[in-house]
Amino acid sequence: MKSKNQIKNSTPYVLMVLPALLIFVTFFVAPLLSTAKYSFYNWTNYSPDITFSGLTNYKKLLSDRTLATGVKNTLTYAVINVLLQSVIALPVSVALNSRLKGRNIYRAVYFCPAVLSTLVVGYLWKYLLSTSDYGFLNQVITSFGLDKINFLGDGKIALAAIILIEVWQWFGWAMVIYLGNLQSISEDLYEAAAMDGADAWKKFWHVTVPGLAPAIKINLVTGMISGLKVFDIVVSTTNGGPAHQTETILTLMFTKFSDGNYGYAAAFGMVFLAVSMLLSCVLLGIFNKWEKGLE
Amino acid sequence: MKKKRFCYQVILHLVLLVLAFVVLIPIYYLVVTTFKSGTEAALHPMSLPSSWKLAPYAEAFVKMQYPRAFKNTLLITVFAVVGILIFGAMCGYVLNRKEEKRWTRAVFLLILSGIMFPYQMSILGLYKLIRGMGLMNNMWSVVFIDIAVNLPFAIFLFKSFVSTIPRELEEAAKIDGAGVWRTFWTIVFPLLKPTLATVAILNTLTIWNDFMGPLYFLQSREKDVILQEVYRNIGQFSTDWASLFPMMVLGVLPLLIFYLAMQKFIIGGVMSGSVKG
Repeated sequence: MKSKNQIKNSTPYVLMVLPALLIFVTFFVAPLLSTAKYSFYNWTNYSPDITFSGLTNYKKLLSDRTLATGVKNTLTYAVINVLLQSVIALPVSVALNSRLKGRNIYRAVYFCPAVLSTLVVGYLWKYLLSTSDYGFLNQVITSFGLDKINFLGDGKIALAAIILIEVWQWFGWAMVIYLGNLQSISEDLYEAAAMDGADAWKKFWHVTVPGLAPAIKINLVTGMISGLKVFDIVVSTTNGGPAHQTETILTLMFTKFSDGNYGYAAAFGMVFLAVSMLLSCVLLGIFNKWEKGLE
Repeated sequence: MKKKRFCYQVILHLVLLVLAFVVLIPIYYLVVTTFKSGTEAALHPMSLPSSWKLAPYAEAFVKMQYPRAFKNTLLITVFAVVGILIFGAMCGYVLNRKEEKRWTRAVFLLILSGIMFPYQMSILGLYKLIRGMGLMNNMWSVVFIDIAVNLPFAIFLFKSFVSTIPRELEEAAKIDGAGVWRTFWTIVFPLLKPTLATVAILNTLTIWNDFMGPLYFLQSREKDVILQEVYRNIGQFSTDWASLFPMMVLGVLPLLIFYLAMQKFIIGGVMSGSVKG
């Protein structure tokens, strides 16, 4: 039994947690539950009634050919984008962590695209990659005597082009996270490695990379989660085309929503939940193994 | 040995310079093209413009109803960021100081789920909720959603920062007769400054550049934000260069200025926000 006094003592603490908790539950937890509920309902913009429809929405999902494309594109985007970012950002951050002239300028330049809106970045690259006579990149390509490449109009390479645009935009962010981590790796470790006769390459693999484990983890986890949310860049570059080949889960969901198929869009939301849970589990598994390997 | 080191430095700079050009050329192109005609942009994409007329900007400014859209974006960002700072700091403080209690641990676990899962999956439930509350086309819908979505990470940062603050000061204040509330605001809150700055910077970038939230919940034109104006107008005039590129620049200009002015703080904020996270 709690005494009255104890309860009174914890009251101010409860009150301080309450606003955050209330907002989080109202605008995050509750909508999730109600989305799950409405995925079993026939809810459209055309009929006033919302009626229970069992698994109808999910059956429709299974026969929806764009769904597989959307899930595949979303996962491909999330994984490849985050890996490429780190492949560029990690060595660059190591270079900028040394006593290099102008390193603050390099750092400021590389980070710059991360403050631009992704929507605008997409429009900009749409012009740079265009096959029309003003497409800058194709001007460069043809000046070497090569054929134009229809980066965003060819379904086979459009997703790759979108991924590269986003690597361009975000590798600087990943780099800053690695830089923050690098500052906390003790010089002693490098000195000890030097005493053992390690060269620069060995130091990189045996001191730097293990020391960067926290930042690698952060970059992969946050990068993949935000990769799953890929939306703005697709809207502004291909809008899911050509022939739905660059649709992602969220662009498909928005289309269903705009069409007024709310219940069906809710089922897409549940697919999204399943995909993100799957990816989180895989990531956690990989990190657990890796950490055991490091110990 | 020295010569080898010099060679290495030269090669390193070359690689870094090429990368810097790859980053900067598109941004340079974005800016100079605003002053060019379609033909000039196609013929001389990398040259400086032949004239620096600002008329296209004035036109884009009017078409986008820029002052109104700017005001909407600014208000949403300011209210959401302030909400995240105040509610996040209070909650993170208690979750650390009362860590041994079962209810705080339960709250923390619940809130952590908000970091792992993208809120976009529940957008239909949100749509229903916002409509039910009568908040459609009301900026508070986006403000509340932005707070809810970004609070978890902020709470996480505040909680771990509070754990580095010694409790002695609070105990001294308690002996002087200050309550929990006053102790928090007069003693703890000012000490949270570094994390407050980090959280403010990270969230300003995210919320200002959020396109999807407003797209779903602010559908009437008077309520929309800058990015929706870019979206609306580029959809309409997709070949009209003269008004298109200035709109794109106007779309990114506020944060670009913010970045140029506060570059060190912003990069520092991202750095510290992530290492603790």
